[in-house]
Amino acid sequence: MIDDFNSIPPYSLAKAEKEAMLLKEIKERIAFHRENCKEYNNILNTLNYSNENCTQLSQVPFLPVRIFKEMSLKSIPDEQVFKIMTSSGTTTQVASKIYLNKQNALLQQKILLHLLGDFVGKKRMPMLVIDTKEIIKNRKLFTSRGATVMGLEFAARNMVFALDENMRLDADVVSDFLDKYGQNDFLIFGLTFMVWKHLYDAIEERNLSFDLSNGYLLTGGGWKKLVEQAVSSEEFKQRGKKLCNLNRYVDHYGMAEQSGSIFPECPCGHLHASIYSDVITRRFEDFSPCEIGEPGIIQVISVVPHSYPGNSLLTEDMGVILGEDDCPCGRKGKYIKILGRIKSAEIRGCSDTYASKFS
Amino acid sequence: MQANSANMDFLVGSMEILQGMPAIPSLSVFSDLAVNFLEDLSRELINDKNARAYSDVISFAYWIRRASLEKAKTMMTDGRCRIGRGVALHIAPSNVPVNFAVTMTYSLLSGNCTVIRVSSKPFEQIAIICRALNKLLSGAFSSLIPYVCVVRYEHSDEITAELSAMCDVRVVWGGNRTIAQIRKASLPPRAIELTFSDRHSIAIINSDEYLKRDPEKTAKDFYTDTYYTDQNACSSPRLVVWTGSCVSEARERFWSYLDRLVKQDYNLRPIQSVDKLLSLCLLSASGQSARLVSSDNYVVRVEVDHLSPELMNYKDSGGYFFEYTAKDINEIVPVLTKSCQTITVLGIPYKDVTDVVVNNGTKGVDRIVPMGMAMGIEYIWDGFDMISSMSRIVYFPQ
Repeated sequence: MIDDFNSIPPYSLAKAEKEAMLLKEIKERIAFHRENCKEYNNILNTLNYSNENCTQLSQVPFLPVRIFKEMSLKSIPDEQVFKIMTSSGTTTQVASKIYLNKQNALLQQKILLHLLGDFVGKKRMPMLVIDTKEIIKNRKLFTSRGATVMGLEFAARNMVFALDENMRLDADVVSDFLDKYGQNDFLIFGLTFMVWKHLYDAIEERNLSFDLSNGYLLTGGGWKKLVEQAVSSEEFKQRGKKLCNLNRYVDHYGMAEQSGSIFPECPCGHLHASIYSDVITRRFEDFSPCEIGEPGIIQVISVVPHSYPGNSLLTEDMGVILGEDDCPCGRKGKYIKILGRIKSAEIRGCSDTYASKFS
Repeated sequence: MQANSANMDFLVGSMEILQGMPAIPSLSVFSDLAVNFLEDLSRELINDKNARAYSDVISFAYWIRRASLEKAKTMMTDGRCRIGRGVALHIAPSNVPVNFAVTMTYSLLSGNCTVIRVSSKPFEQIAIICRALNKLLSGAFSSLIPYVCVVRYEHSDEITAELSAMCDVRVVWGGNRTIAQIRKASLPPRAIELTFSDRHSIAIINSDEYLKRDPEKTAKDFYTDTYYTDQNACSSPRLVVWTGSCVSEARERFWSYLDRLVKQDYNLRPIQSVDKLLSLCLLSASGQSARLVSSDNYVVRVEVDHLSPELMNYKDSGGYFFEYTAKDINEIVPVLTKSCQTITVLGIPYKDVTDVVVNNGTKGVDRIVPMGMAMGIEYIWDGFDMISSMSRIVYFPQ
C-alpha cells in the first residue's frame, strides 16, 4: 500500500529494506496496469515478462519515456480522467500526454510535498513564482510547469506570480512580497532558464535591488536552455548570490511522466532518490545495469503512477549513480548526477532530414 | 529567376548558365559528349586521392566507367530516336551524399540540361565530385558548361517554384515529406515528374541454400545491405523471411555470424538502442503478436507469427529486424504493399518472386537482387527506367 510509504521519512530506508518495499509495490502496479491497459499488457507479453520471475528491481521492465509522446497509455476508463498533463514541450515539438485520475493527481502533490519537506522544512511558506499566472489558467490541459506550481500551491501560503502576462518581471509585486514576507523563510520557484532570464537579467538590466536571502530557490527543468548558453550550475548560483543574495538552492531532476517522485538536490549537489523511487543506469549496448560510477542511460522507477503505466521508464538522459546510502548529507538511497541528453543520431539513408526543416 | 536567387550558392555553374538553360538544345540519349564527360569524370575520381576514403564516391566512379556506360547504352539502342526533354530539376536527398551525382548521370545521359539542388549538409563527397566536375568543365568539356548546375539553397518555396517553372522534368528524392513540400510548386503543362518516396525492403533466404554458402561472406553481404547505411536506405531489408527445411539451424548460424561482424564494425549509438526499444513497444502495443528473440541491442530481432500490411509501419533502422518463417513464399504477399521496393534474395530464384508479384497483382516490389546488392546503382530504379523516363521518343513507324 502506498500509505505505508507516506508514514516513513522519505530518505530513511537503506538498500535492502527499500528494495523489498519498492519491489512489492511496483509489482502490484504492474499487475494492475497489465489488467487495465491492453497495450501495456501486449508490450509485456512481447518482452516475455512475468511478475513471478521478477525478484529484483533491475528486472522490472521499462518503457521508453518517449512512448507517451507516440501513443495514449492509460489504465483508467475515460470518464475517470481528471486531467491530462503534458510535458513542457519547450525543446521538443511533440508533448507527452499523461492521463491522471483525481487520486493520482492528489498523490503526486502529496508526495512532492513529502519530499520537499525534507529539504525546506514542513511548515507552509509564502511562495514567489518566477512565472506568469497564465500557466495555471487552463486546468484541463496543462503542462508539467503548471503542474509543479499547482503541486506547490499546497505547500505555499499566498502564492504570488512575479511575471506579468508578457513575461516581464513586475518589480512592485516582488517588492510588496518581500516587504510582507522577506523577514522569514519563503520559497521561490521557477525553471532555471526562467529565473536566469526573467529574474536575474531583469534585476541587472533595470538595476533593481532585492534581498532574497531568506528564500529557498526551487528549480527544476529548463537546464537544457541554459546549457546551450553554456551556463553552469555554479555560475547560476554565483549570479543569484551576487544579484539578490540568494543562498539556498534546491534544484531537482524529474519529469512529467513521473510527477511527484522527484529527485531533489541536496547541499552536496547530489540528486536523491527517495523511498518512492529508484534509479538504475543502463548500458546502451544491452541495457544491462551499470556499476556505481559508470555512466549510462537513466531508468527511473516510481510507485506514483496509478492511472497510467509509467512506473518504470527508460529516459533519454545520461547519468551516473554516485553512491548509495552514503551521501554526506545523511539521506539514504541512491544519489545521482545527470550528464545530459543522449545525442540524437545522424542517420544515413534515403528518408530525409531535410524534410524536418519544413515543419 | 528573380526573387531570392541571391540566396543560391552555385557549386557548379552560375546564375547566368541556369537562366540560359531553357534555350539550350537537348542532347540525344547517350550522346558522345555526355558519355565522354562521364568517362573522364570516372577517371578523375578514381585518381583523386581524397576520394579514396569514400567508398560511395569510388562505387559511383566505377559505375560510370566507359565499359559500364557502353553496356547501359545497348539497352537503349532499339532503333528509336530518343532525345532529352529539356531542363531537368533534381532535388537530391540530404542523407545520401553521392545520390546527386547518380541522378545527374541519368539526366545527362538522357540528354537534359541538369540542375541539382544538393543537401545543405557539407558532405565531403559532394565537394570532391563538384571539384572534379568543375575541373572537367573548365578544361576539355567547355561545351557541356551550359548543361550542368549544382546549387545549394536553404529551403525556400520561392526558389523551388522558380526552378520548377522552368523545368521539363522534375526528379524528387528524399521521401514523402520532401515530395509533399516540393509538389506545392506547380509544373509547366508538359513537364513530368519522378518522385522517390519512402520505401521499405525485405530479404528472403532459403535455409537449405544458405547452409551451403560461406557464412562469413553472406554476413558481409547482408551487412552491406543493412548496417552500412544504418539500415535506413529504402533498399535495406527490414524483414527477413526464411524458407526451406533447415530454418532453425540456418537462422542460428546467420545471426551469430552477423552479430560478430556488427560488434566488430558497427558504431552503435545509445539513441539507437532506445529507438529500437520504442519501436518494439509500439509494435506490440498495436496488438501484433511478436517475440523479442535477441538479447542485446546490436542486432535486435523480433519474430512475428504472421505478416500484415501494417507491420512495416513499425520498422526501424540501425539493426532492427522482423523475422518470419514461411512455409509458402506466397505468405509474403501482405507486406508487398505500395511502399515495398527491393526484395533481396539468397537461394531463391527471381522467377519465384516475380510469380508472387504477378499472380497476386501486388502494388509493391520494384526490384529483386541477390543479397549484397541492395545498395547497387542501376538504370532502373523504383520501377522507372530512368533514361527512358527522363527523355522522350521521337516516334516514327519502324
